[in-house]
Parts: sequence; C-alpha cells; structure tokens
Amino acid sequence: MNEGTAHSAAGPAQRSAARRRHAVPYLLIAPALVLAAVIVLWPLTVIGNISLHDVNRFGQLRGFSGLANFAELWRDPDFIATLWRTLIWTIGVVGGTLILSVPVALVLNRDFHGRALARVIIMLPWSVSVTMTAVVWRWALNGESGMLNSALRAGGITESNIVWLSSAATAFPIQIGIGILVSIPFTVTVFLAGLSSVPEDIYEAASIEGASSWQQLRTITLPMLRPFMTLAVVLNVIYVFNSFPIIWVLTQGGPANSTDILVTYLYKLAFRFGQMGQAAAVSIIMFAILLAITLLYVRLVTKTEAKS
Amino acid sequence: MKLKTYLMGGAALAMMASMAHAGDVRITVAEYSSKTGPYFDKMAAEFEAANPGINIDVEVTPWDVLLQKLTTDIAGNANADLAIIGTRWLLDFVDQGIAEPLDGYIDDEFSGRFIETFLSPSVMDDQIYGLPVAASARAMYYNKALFEQAGLDGPPETWDELAADAKAISDLGEGISGYGLQGKEIETDVYFYYPMWSYGGNILNEDGSSGFGSDAAIQAATLYKSLIDDGLTQDGPTAYSREDVQNLFKQGKVGMMITAPFLANQIKDEAPELQYGIAPIPAGPDGDRGTYGVTDSIIMFANSGNKDEAWQFLDYLFTQGPRSEFTLGEGFLPVNQAVSEEPAFADNADLNAFAGVLPDARFAPVVSGWEEIADVASSALQRVYLGEESPEDAMSRAAKEANRILGK
Repeated sequence: MNEGTAHSAAGPAQRSAARRRHAVPYLLIAPALVLAAVIVLWPLTVIGNISLHDVNRFGQLRGFSGLANFAELWRDPDFIATLWRTLIWTIGVVGGTLILSVPVALVLNRDFHGRALARVIIMLPWSVSVTMTAVVWRWALNGESGMLNSALRAGGITESNIVWLSSAATAFPIQIGIGILVSIPFTVTVFLAGLSSVPEDIYEAASIEGASSWQQLRTITLPMLRPFMTLAVVLNVIYVFNSFPIIWVLTQGGPANSTDILVTYLYKLAFRFGQMGQAAAVSIIMFAILLAITLLYVRLVTKTEAKS
Repeated sequence: MKLKTYLMGGAALAMMASMAHAGDVRITVAEYSSKTGPYFDKMAAEFEAANPGINIDVEVTPWDVLLQKLTTDIAGNANADLAIIGTRWLLDFVDQGIAEPLDGYIDDEFSGRFIETFLSPSVMDDQIYGLPVAASARAMYYNKALFEQAGLDGPPETWDELAADAKAISDLGEGISGYGLQGKEIETDVYFYYPMWSYGGNILNEDGSSGFGSDAAIQAATLYKSLIDDGLTQDGPTAYSREDVQNLFKQGKVGMMITAPFLANQIKDEAPELQYGIAPIPAGPDGDRGTYGVTDSIIMFANSGNKDEAWQFLDYLFTQGPRSEFTLGEGFLPVNQAVSEEPAFADNADLNAFAGVLPDARFAPVVSGWEEIADVASSALQRVYLGEESPEDAMSRAAKEANRILGK
C-alpha cells in the first residue's frame, strides 16, 4: 500500500519507467516459467484430475468421485505403514550417503599416489544402471547359491546360509545399504566440487596459527561445504524418495508389503490392480510431501545461513 | 454453416491421417522366450507373402510389463489392432468395451480347431472375446534320483504321503530339501491353492464370496507352515519366486515342486542329466485334487481400424502349421485338437502327464479385481510362512479383505 501511494506521487514518466524496470525480470524468467508449466504443471493437473475421479483400469474417467480415492488410501493400513517406511528409507539412504560421502570426498581431495584410480573406482557404480545393480544384488543375495553367503561361509563368518530376502528384517536394511552405495558417486562428486572451491591459503594460514586438522575440518571445510551439502540433501531426497528399481527388483515390496515404499505401492496399485484413481492420489500425496520437505529444508538452511 | 462443414471435414481428415495406414495390422505379443519374437516375425513374413497389401507389425513386450504397456497404450488411444493378454484380465477388457467380440468372424470349422477346455475361459456372456494362444497347466515334478536315494518307490499320491516323502528326502542332508515351496512374487497364491483344492476348498464359494476363510484353506496353510517348521522345504520360502524354486529343482536341491510344462524344456537345455518324473498333484483325504490351468488369449481391439485384415492374420496364426511350431518352440500345451494329435505331442511323455491332469484344471475366477485378491492371498500366506500370523487369523483376514474387493 505504501509503495502504491509513493508511486502515485511520482510523475507519469517515472512511473512507466519504473514499471518497465519491474517488468524486465518477469520477462526474463518467462520462458523458464512456461517450460516449467508445460512439463510440471500440466501433468500435475492431469493427475490431480484423475485422482478426483472414478477411473477404470485403462485410465478412462468414469465420473467425479471427490476425495473417495484419498479416503480409500487412508483406510488402507498398508498405505500408512508404507508412508512411514518411505520416510525411514529416505532418511536412511540420504543420511547414510552424506555420512559416508564426506570422508570419501575428503580423502579423494588429497593428493596421493593412485588418486585418479581411486576416483574412478568410487564413481564406477554411477555408470551402471541402478536396475542392473539391483539385479546383480538379487543374485548375490540368493539364499542357496548367492555369492554373499558363499563369501561369508568361506570366510568362516557364518556357518549356514542366511536367506537375506525372506523377511523385511534383513531385506530392508540391505536395500537401504544398496541405496547408499548407488547414491555415493553423485554425492561425492558434489562435495569434491565444493572442496576444490576452498582456497588452499586459508588452510595454510590456519596451520600457521596452530589449528589442528580437526579444527580445520570443523571451522573451515565443513562451513565452506554447507551450500553443497544443501544441494546434495535436496537432490538426494527427491531422487531417493522416488527411487523404484532397488526395492522392486529385490522384493517387489514383499513379503506381505513389508518392504514397500510409496513408489512401489503406487506401481502395484496402477499396473497390477488397475486402481488408477488411487494411484494418482498417491502421486499427488508424494508430490505434496516432497514439495513440503524441500521448501522446509531450503528455508531452514537459508535462515541459518542468514544468521551466521 | 459453410465454416462448420469445413471444420468438420478438416477434423475428419485429421482423424484419418492419425489412423493407421489401411492394410496395416499391429499386434502386441508377449515375449515367452527368446524364440517368441523370431517366431512372430516369421509368421508375419509368411502371411505378408501370401496376402500382398497387408502389412503386419509385430511388437514384442516382456511379460512383466505387458499389462502396463497395454494399459498406457489404451489410455493414450494408441493400442495395436491385436494383442496377447492373460485371459484372467479379459473381464476388464470386455467390461470396458475394449475387446471386440469375435463371433461374427468365427464359424464352426474355426471353433472346432480348439480343445474346448482352453477356449471356454475366453467366452463371456456367450460371446468369444479371445482366442487361446498359449495354454498350460501345473503338475508335480519329482527328482527320481533323490527319490531312489531316499528309498522311495514313486511320487506321493496324497499330501500326507508328500509330507512323509519330503521328510525322507530332507533326511538325506547336504542341503537338500524335500519340497520346493514358492513364497514370493507371481503365483505365490496359486502354490497354496493346490492343497486347498485337494482339501475340498474353493477360491470362491457358491455365493461368490471368498473361500479363503474355509476349513480347507486353513488346513492347506497349516500344512505348508508345518512343512516349513519341520525343515521339509528350502529355508526362507518367502525369498523364493517360482523361477528361484525351479532353479533349485534343476540343481537337484529339492525333491519335488509343482510348476508348468516349460520347466521340462528348461531341464532339457540346462540340466539334461537330471532324472525327473511328472506326476499329478497329490490328492486330499477325500480324493479331491485340482490343478491350475492358465491360458493367454489373442484379442482384437474394438477400436481397430483394420478388423478384417486383423482377422485374416488370426485365421492364419490358428492353422495347424503355425500353431504346432509355436507350441513346440515355447513348450506349451497344444490348444488345437489337430496339433495335439501330432506325434511330437502325442508321444511326448512329459506333455502326456500334463494332458492327464487337465480334467482337474481350474482357471482363475472371472471376477473384477482378481489380481488384487490374489495379492491379498499371497500377502496372507507370506505372513503365515514367516510365522507372523497363525493360519486361522491370516486366512480369515484375507477372506474379509477379498470379500471387500468382491463387494460381498
């Protein structure tokens, strides 16, 4: 309001110039906005529309049903359990990835003999498709003829075969572990980029002042890595939350839905049971959760950054 | 007025342009094995040579994603003219007006080509909506060498005998188990229907409600649970899909398993030394028994623009030569009467064993939501196998869930 009165007090020429200045940024972001609208908003409205309808298994709308699809989901105890499990999955994989990636990146950032080779080895899992990795793990985890059991027995660690995928108690932690393994290359790359942007002379100055390497890590390296940390968290959360192949290939969410996460649950609803309306509702819920988490996290980070 | 006519003409033109070229027939086929694609390409080439002007387009899709592909194709109005589908999905295709009834094309000579048992699942409301292209039933495979080592003279006749035989084989040690039990992924529920049928149970009761809560179902689940607890199955059955159990059988690590004819083909290729026999599924205390029959059908889409050409191709596919080549290559049961009388089939001991169990064959019930009900049963069984729930609790809960889906 105040602004408005200030403007009207100014002359007409100034006003139009000001308006033009205001318009420029909008014009500049317009193409990006249009693109985002086409590839994000349009499918979102279509899915939103499906989720509010009674839909047959071929995706053809059969009449408005309000929030019936959502109500049906809340009634399903498997959905609620899956919702929680998805959070454990996401926090487990992203948390584990971050904890392991920081030391790996720090080591790879040092100059040592064979660093190039070590970097290649760390990055290698990235070049294999996640589905293929999961298929290889499925073989390795086979109870009777899997490599993992053979290795454990040959090493004298276990005496009899463990059937890893027979229950969630062993299957789900292993799935999280594989999730961490395939997320590390990307995360390490992000951190390496961050580390290379820290100027060497800060460390020199710090060691002249007598700072121990632990102090250097805590007060120089980690704070300088913070923006890269934010990036890694947000991108990994989005990616892991929606990650399908590991769980699908190893257990298809079983036994008895005990390793389902939202995206495998959604796939079963849509393409096995033909419940397109409920599947669309799950999509909408997933989108809302991701949006909320991302906004919350980014806001939290910008706040702490502003404070420091 | 004139503008409107132009607009309508334009729209009609646009529609025609988007339609397939006249004489083009697209067919979506499931990939049963590495032989499927080359087989259909060959059929298409032979048919095109005999019918100039018709062009056959074959799309080969892996089984796992077939339903997903068909669903998205239909939703996007981009489906083919013909497609292979699981006959158990047919109800939805018919209900939604996706599948074209074929009675107008079929004469007595044509329907007489089929073995009645396999054609009947594709008939709905007295109309034929699909032609059975692949058929299979289940029977019990047993490892003759292991039976001999355990001092057993033949396959078990009843489930009680099966438990005793499984014990004798498991006692051989060396990581060998008597009975291979499937507990993961597709058809986990079917593996449990065999004893359920033998104990006199049914998937659906007479009134259309679920039979999962019946005494027979609970007895069957209890039997499997006791086999697991007594160490007569492989460890951790919930980690073993059908293919995993088949691999155990090929490796000689389980004495018995129930599966389809195609395992015999795999054994010939991968474990030719294995001495196996095929026997009927064990009977229950009252002599009841049932096996699972499965057919896949080719359907014609109601929105196809080239129905007559599509039918001509179907007519060709279902003549004796093409049928014989397909059935032999894939290891299915013959669906054509004439094919079943060919020496390659009539003199094949394995296939005869399967033909012998056909009178007991039961097909998946024709109800909408069947896949979801099957999943309910599979999940309940997995909880029983894992010991998370008693057979009584798990099966009566499954019955309740299934009845909700059935609307009963």
